[in-house]
Amino acid sequence: MHEINMLEIVKVSKTFSQPDGNVKVLDQVNFDLPSAASAALLGESGSGKSTLLHLIAGLDKPDSGDILLDGELVSSFSDRQWNALRRSDLSLIFQQFHLIPTLDVMDNIQLQSRLAGAVDQELLVYLITRLGLSALSKRLPHQLSGGQQQRVAIARALLHRPSLVLADEPTGNLDGETSRSVIQLLLELTRETGSGLLIVTHSQEMAGYMDHRWHLSGGRLSRRSNASLEN
Amino acid sequence: MMFPETLRQLTWVLLTLLSHYRRHPGQSAFMAIGLLTGVALWSSVQLINDHAKASYGEADQLLGAESAYWIRNPDGGGIPVEEYISLRLQGFAQVYPVVESRVLTTSGEVIPIIAVDLLALPPAAYGSGGMANSPLAGDSWLPFIQPGYQSWYSAELAERLNILPGDEVVLSNGRKMPPALIQSRSQQGFRAFMDIGAAFSVLAEENLSYLAVTALDDTTRAKLESTLPPNLRLVKNRQVLDLTQLTESLHTHLAAMGLLSFAVGLFIVFNAVRFSLLSRQGTFNTLREMGASVQVIGAAIILETIGWSLIGTVGGLMSGYVLSGVLLPTVAGTLQSLYGAIVESDIELGLNQMLLAWLMTLLGLVLALAGPLWHRLRMNVIEGRSGSLMWQQDERARMVMMWSSLPLFALALACFYRIETVVDGFVVLTLILFAAALVLPVSIQFVNSMVLNRLSRRNWKLRWAASDAFAQLPQLRVALMALLLTLTANIGVTTLVNSFRDALSNWLEIRLSADIYIQRTVGNIDTLAVTDGSEWRIASHQRTGVSTRWRGRPAIVQGVDVSAPDIVDMQLPEQLSDASAPWASLSVDPQPILANEQVKHLGQVALGETVRLESAGQQYSYVIVGFFHDYGTPYYRFYLPSDVVKQRWQNVRSEGLALWVAPGMLEMAEQTLIEKGIDPGEWIRQADIKRVSLEIFDRTFQITAALNSLTLVVAGVALLAALLAVHQQRLPEYAHWYSLGVTFQEWFKLVAFPLLLMVMVTGLLAIPLGWVLSWMLVYKLNVVAFGWTMPLVWSWMPVMQLAMVTVMVVISALAIVALQVRRRLPVALKQLGGMGL
Amino acid sequence: MRSVQVFLLLVLAMCFAVSDLFAADNYQLLRSSPAGYAPVVPGKNIQFPRDHLPHSAFKIEWWYLTANLTDDSGGEYGVHWTLFRQSMSPDEPGDSWSNNQIWMAHAAISTPEGHLYEERFARGGIGQAGVQVNPEGAFSGWLDNWSLVGHSSAPVPGVLTFTVQDKRIELNLNAVTPWVLQGENGFSQKSEKGQASYYYSQPHISVVGSLIDAGSEIKLDGKAWLDREWSSQPLASDQPGWDWLSVHLDDGQALMVYRLRQVNGKHWYSGTLVSANGVSESLSAVDMIFKPIQQASVKIGGSAARNLPLHWQLELPGRGKQWIIKAPRPDHWLNTTFPYWEGPVKVIDAESGLSVGDGYLELTGY
Repeated sequence: MHEINMLEIVKVSKTFSQPDGNVKVLDQVNFDLPSAASAALLGESGSGKSTLLHLIAGLDKPDSGDILLDGELVSSFSDRQWNALRRSDLSLIFQQFHLIPTLDVMDNIQLQSRLAGAVDQELLVYLITRLGLSALSKRLPHQLSGGQQQRVAIARALLHRPSLVLADEPTGNLDGETSRSVIQLLLELTRETGSGLLIVTHSQEMAGYMDHRWHLSGGRLSRRSNASLEN
Repeated sequence: MMFPETLRQLTWVLLTLLSHYRRHPGQSAFMAIGLLTGVALWSSVQLINDHAKASYGEADQLLGAESAYWIRNPDGGGIPVEEYISLRLQGFAQVYPVVESRVLTTSGEVIPIIAVDLLALPPAAYGSGGMANSPLAGDSWLPFIQPGYQSWYSAELAERLNILPGDEVVLSNGRKMPPALIQSRSQQGFRAFMDIGAAFSVLAEENLSYLAVTALDDTTRAKLESTLPPNLRLVKNRQVLDLTQLTESLHTHLAAMGLLSFAVGLFIVFNAVRFSLLSRQGTFNTLREMGASVQVIGAAIILETIGWSLIGTVGGLMSGYVLSGVLLPTVAGTLQSLYGAIVESDIELGLNQMLLAWLMTLLGLVLALAGPLWHRLRMNVIEGRSGSLMWQQDERARMVMMWSSLPLFALALACFYRIETVVDGFVVLTLILFAAALVLPVSIQFVNSMVLNRLSRRNWKLRWAASDAFAQLPQLRVALMALLLTLTANIGVTTLVNSFRDALSNWLEIRLSADIYIQRTVGNIDTLAVTDGSEWRIASHQRTGVSTRWRGRPAIVQGVDVSAPDIVDMQLPEQLSDASAPWASLSVDPQPILANEQVKHLGQVALGETVRLESAGQQYSYVIVGFFHDYGTPYYRFYLPSDVVKQRWQNVRSEGLALWVAPGMLEMAEQTLIEKGIDPGEWIRQADIKRVSLEIFDRTFQITAALNSLTLVVAGVALLAALLAVHQQRLPEYAHWYSLGVTFQEWFKLVAFPLLLMVMVTGLLAIPLGWVLSWMLVYKLNVVAFGWTMPLVWSWMPVMQLAMVTVMVVISALAIVALQVRRRLPVALKQLGGMGL
Repeated sequence: MRSVQVFLLLVLAMCFAVSDLFAADNYQLLRSSPAGYAPVVPGKNIQFPRDHLPHSAFKIEWWYLTANLTDDSGGEYGVHWTLFRQSMSPDEPGDSWSNNQIWMAHAAISTPEGHLYEERFARGGIGQAGVQVNPEGAFSGWLDNWSLVGHSSAPVPGVLTFTVQDKRIELNLNAVTPWVLQGENGFSQKSEKGQASYYYSQPHISVVGSLIDAGSEIKLDGKAWLDREWSSQPLASDQPGWDWLSVHLDDGQALMVYRLRQVNGKHWYSGTLVSANGVSESLSAVDMIFKPIQQASVKIGGSAARNLPLHWQLELPGRGKQWIIKAPRPDHWLNTTFPYWEGPVKVIDAESGLSVGDGYLELTGY
């Protein structure tokens, strides 16, 4: 909060045209996330949380406004630049895990690092151990439980030491106990790898674990204090 | 549950299910294309077969007139006009004159000619319009029968010969055909039709070829027979029966190819059905969660299926009808050149064919639906929601397929030793092909795993690509099986055709060793046979022949000169050790005889056995001392020394004269012939016969080539359809890859590599299978069907060509898919995370 | 698909039906232009035996015989045999297969059991049909095995032989009176526009012969009428057809009348009255009343039927004669290339109501 913000969003707007008129999902939204910090993005379903996440990941483009990653204006990046950025600096974690069904656990974990360049073998071993995947390394995704699959996705997301991990309802498909352990692991590991973490969630409990909480409503984004959460 | 409520439920379920096709026009299109192409190819062949068979029923018709009998001159010299007129003056108005011949154009094309006297045709020939259609009604007939004349060509013949209306085709004898009219009479076929006056002047001929006779009662027939001059014979026209018998094998061949096309089309449908069910899995589950019963959903699917079958039948039959019109000329050409069968160009679509097509389509759809539907409905709602099941299922399915291929192979092996008819042969072939197709997925899996195992962990991109094959295989396997069948059929049939062509041209080389062949219609052939003393003449061979029947089928007994070069050099694929010596001697009893292979394979007679032939009301026995090749003949043929034939048969006709000419003296020889009063059109040079024979051969197999390419196109469409579906379904997955930073190029490689690998495995498997198929066709089916044997000639050239075509087809399909994915990816990206797989 | 074909055929049929009404008239041949052919002009001498033979310079020609016969038990028979010749072009006939003459023959037998007829065609030049004086010097007209062979260079006296289906007719024809030249010395005008033909007849032919049917022979005798006519354009464009009648009266006279129907209703009438010894008088429109009284429905093949005038009133006012002409056998339609009605008729005296003669009626263009 007191250093250079690793993610900065300035006056970003996004409108979707629907059969019954245009919907302004994001209206002049401002947002920042300090390096290696974690934040939760809360809001009703359909409030535009995922849209904001997609804009940050470069999967969609804003109508207006700027997005800065590590001080670099990425909202004007070309597809090629985005590809490179996603390979090395970003990671996405989804509710549905999105593992490659044809690859075993080991290959799945290494995939993004391999795309980005080299695999940090030390970190690999560490992550596998930390995430409790050692015994499962030869298994295919469909042979894993949901929690196991999400842990594989987390390993994959962190192995290339991204500066920012974006997670879209990462625990949406998991039961309470598993959710908590997954989030805990995610938080601990991002801190260890020095990655920032932005998770979209509608669970107050999950949001409570984060350094910062933001609430999106009516296209407006507002910062929430811990106090207001507890209310 | 009350009936109206069920109906309401059914209606809504059906509408919900059908909304899928509105949202996915691509899938609807492929479903329609699969049904349409399958039904179209099959029904076109079916239509052609039915039509040809119906045409044989008209073989007792000549240009619309009844022709139950023929009056012929067995000497081959034709019938003088006076003899015909004399019959008419004696009241035999049932008799009408015909001139049939062939002419050679300056460009080397052979045109068969048929000519009649329109005024002499029996009244029934004028059709349902009665006498109002007779020549005297109106004056449009006048130019046809008056000097100047007209030649009528069917549109197909005109196209083949490149003739335009008004053209006067110049012939090798220097004469001209009358001006062309693109018009045809019933049963004209691939023949030019003209007035007898015109034919006489074109052919420089004075005699009628034969007289045709309408049906006769016994009294009239006896009277006519006793009235005929001694040189003429009244012969029953048995073509209806003979043609049906002789062409049976050819039609079975065509039907088999049609069914193959249908099967390949069915593979597309199979795919489309699978995908339409798969992509509606969520819908099924939701409907069931909302309380729609399995029965109602099932009924809705059945209704949908019936709807599709109707679309497929109507569209398929319409395209099949058009296609059959395009393909018919080549089949009709084959039938005329091979069997003398006249097949007309007006195909009719009957109620039977429509019903049959509908049943076939419905059966195909039910087959395609049954398996997937069984799986879907058996699953409970929770299982249905889980995507990962498909993986386990597919591996299990591959194994089931492999194991189920074993009984098919075993059955094929068991049947192999009992092949007696063409149908038996095709059954065995089908079993082998389908068994092999069932093994294909496992083979691909095997090769793929091998590749995977060979790749080190470091080579992760290739490993990923190779492992992606497992993601594509479940959806592609049916299309790949279709491709396997198509490639196999292509290789097999091409090899058969090449082997046959090779054998035929070698055989022609030996059989047609003489330099000049004089037609049998030349009257003074006897005087020509003794042109000894001419310095150009090396040898001559005057053949004689007589038509008879053996084992209920037409047979020809030919009298040959045992010392003629072509007989001395004749190569017998099978003979008794000292065959030629006793054959030449006349004193042996039973008389030795040579027979064509058809006698052996279709007549089931072995070397050394005796055959009995009837001559002059008496049965004589002959012992077979050798078999000779006789390609392209549907008849039984026997060779006997001329003297024996002359001794035992009356009505022996001249079969023309072959002359061997000293090198470089061909011109001189032809000059001599002209001096002897022979017209340049009445002989043909060796090179011309060979060329024409091979041309007829090539034309015969045009239909094969056409069906081959069409089936390949269908297989290509099947593959494209499957690819599009696979990738449409995997779009969210690709979006995720993209979110990982995978570039488009990387994606393409990831997807293309396994596809090419799978196609390669398919192609490699098709080569040995193709060889097996051609072996079966050459050594089994061909022998059973036509009674011809020949060596199998394997050539890599067509295989290479096919490989190139296949790769091109695959690459085009892939390119189309890539464009699609690229276009749709942004949407998929936006939905990322929001929707599951 | 068949239903599609049927639909297309229906549409086509509807398009062509209208034009068909005009095009289907085969009698157009008789009205077509005589250009290039020899013209029919008055004042030309008819000469025998020359004019018994074909005139190939003229487009069309016929040898036409009708006979009313009875068998031993009084059963009534009619015979009608015609040989038509047509030139396809005005040129010389030409040899062999290039000959430009077409021959057509009709033969019909009317018996108490019914009506039988046959039509045949042949081309000239190949010996299948023709009219000539044969090497023995006898007149010979034939097509296939149908023939009229004279005892001399004239067709009568002579023998007519033909077969219809399995029945065979053999008639000996004899005549002692001279040939009757119709119209003006054989020039027979057919319209006010100049259409005409050369026309002569032998009205007094006595016939003895037989009908052989499956081995049994029926002896016949009676009277016949032979017409000879040739022209290049016998019909005018506004003449759809004609009604022709020849009768043998019991008093020995013979009478022929015809009317060429005009589209405008002003029909062209002509006729000849021949005495028993062969003296003839020409009749024109002013000399006669010849009009239909009643129509009868006649089957013309298949289920189709047509109304035809088979009941006529014939008067020669100048001679105080009034007859009713009745066709007792209406089913004598010949569905041939040129379809027409031809059959035997009874002549009834209008006053007494008694039968006074027999004849043949021909109705064309209906």
